[in-house]
Amino acid sequence: MTRGSELRVLCTATVQAPRPLRGALAAFLRALEVEQIVSEDILVAVGEALANSVEHAYPGEPGTVELHALAEDEATLQVDVRDRGVFTERARHPDRGLGLQIVRAIAREVRIERNGGTRISMTFDAR
Amino acid sequence: MSPQSSLTVLKLTGELDIAQREAVQAALQLDAGGGPVLIDLSEVSYADSTVISQLLRFRNEAEARGRKIALLIGSPQFRRLLQYAGLGDAFAVFDDRGRALTFLAGGPA
Repeated sequence: MTRGSELRVLCTATVQAPRPLRGALAAFLRALEVEQIVSEDILVAVGEALANSVEHAYPGEPGTVELHALAEDEATLQVDVRDRGVFTERARHPDRGLGLQIVRAIAREVRIERNGGTRISMTFDAR
Repeated sequence: MSPQSSLTVLKLTGELDIAQREAVQAALQLDAGGGPVLIDLSEVSYADSTVISQLLRFRNEAEARGRKIALLIGSPQFRRLLQYAGLGDAFAVFDDRGRALTFLAGGPA
């Protein structure tokens, strides 16, 4: 990985959004020459975080979801998934508990902040 | 196997994420038969907790009716996903179709 390499993608938070965002991250990880097995795991964890974010989206009034990946050094990748927009308290789909468990199993560190949206910050070993 | 216990194969393909939740749910429906079920995931290129949740639901329904199920996978990634979800022992997972079929033919659940 080249230190300081960065990927930033912003798009409308619909259930269709995670797939192209994962595609952008996959290309970024290939460019950084991250090992395939590590890359697959990172894509799964970030995919779960993205799915978590777009669950906020409502037809007709979607917010946005932002993916930010940063190669902090040769062995550490920081990925933030952040959503903003229209939020209404509602029951989360039960799948999401499982999704966050997967994120925690893959990432070295996970921080979740809720402040006008949700930000999931994940630190990965990406040797 | 008797004719009443003929094998059901359910095949899913492609990238299965939150956008495919309804499609996966529709695909993973138990038929009226009484035989074992092979869920073929060998051409699934991406799967997440959406799929795992649906597989758990399907497994519970199948087991309640005494039907055995097996998962056929194409890459080790799906097995790792189950482990990350704390479900490493929740399913009979095979990467070889013949072994999956042998398992399913080996008597009731």
